[in-house]
Amino acid sequence: MIPDGESRLLYDAVRSSALALITPCREGEAIAIAAGLWTGGEKPLVVLQNTGLMEAGDALRGCGLGPRVPLRLMVGWRGYGGATAGRTPIDSAYTYTEPLLAAWGIPCWRLMGDEDLPALATMDRTAEETSLPAAVVTGWAFRP
Amino acid sequence: MGVPAVIERMDLFRALAARRTDEIVVMTMTATLQWPLVSRHELDFDFLAFGMGHAGDFGLGLALARPERKTIVLKGDGGLLMSLGSLVTWAACAPGNLLVLLLENRSYELTGGQPLPPRVDFAALARAAGLAGGGATGTGKVERIETLARFADALPRLLAEDGPHFVVLPVTTREALPPVNHSDHAGRIRQLQRALGMA
Repeated sequence: MIPDGESRLLYDAVRSSALALITPCREGEAIAIAAGLWTGGEKPLVVLQNTGLMEAGDALRGCGLGPRVPLRLMVGWRGYGGATAGRTPIDSAYTYTEPLLAAWGIPCWRLMGDEDLPALATMDRTAEETSLPAAVVTGWAFRP
Repeated sequence: MGVPAVIERMDLFRALAARRTDEIVVMTMTATLQWPLVSRHELDFDFLAFGMGHAGDFGLGLALARPERKTIVLKGDGGLLMSLGSLVTWAACAPGNLLVLLLENRSYELTGGQPLPPRVDFAALARAAGLAGGGATGTGKVERIETLARFADALPRLLAEDGPHFVVLPVTTREALPPVNHSDHAGRIRQLQRALGMA
């Protein structure tokens, strides 16, 4: 997990749980570590912001899409709140998030509230069945 | 002023292959061309083209997932510059079974030998990243080994004692490099998983 605004409450929850938490310095690291963990038999979840996803394109290609490693991605959608509230200028991180995932062929589901929680299981199952990365994108879900 | 010490990379690989038993070996860049000349082990993993600069991160994940054996990473100094933050993460996680052998040739060899900034001290960077105090587990070690004889002497210790170890090895090569191999990446992952008894 790379800490960011969308996941900060999740970060606190994971840190106080029995789950193992790794906080790399950059998202490309996180994806490569997750690929190694999965290859070794673990089931990691990569939590990162959309901006970091854009930074980590080569790692996602090389450690996820190319070798068919079923990475589970939880992508914080920076800019979602402002854009959906009609504020301008619109954050380009908002604009390119879903199109970028679509360009990579990574299926994604929106996780914006409690009613969307089944999306996590759908994402998990899809990654498992396709042996390819899958994602949920989160805008407000982890803000107080 | 003496000539800087440097190790012939194939000699280093031969020494390592002679000692290696059941460790995973993750290699990248020029190591993927020369290591197979001395090793055909089922736990060898060719990371070439899996993600620039991230062989050690993949190795960290493997080490954490498979604590019953060492994971050895053969990577270059140019690759490390592409992800210097990895040093901090290795120190923060600090699995005792991770051994990173940094093959320092001061160039991006596989892409034409373009030089690296000349004054980077990789061992000092690793120490400053937190490995000097042993990292999170307190057992991390950073060292620089400049001769083949000293590397051969150190190998039994490096393979046996708790790390993580970050070892800087100044290397050169006189031998011609074999052609680059871009074999099936998904197949490489599945082969390693089979070798680990998982598939």
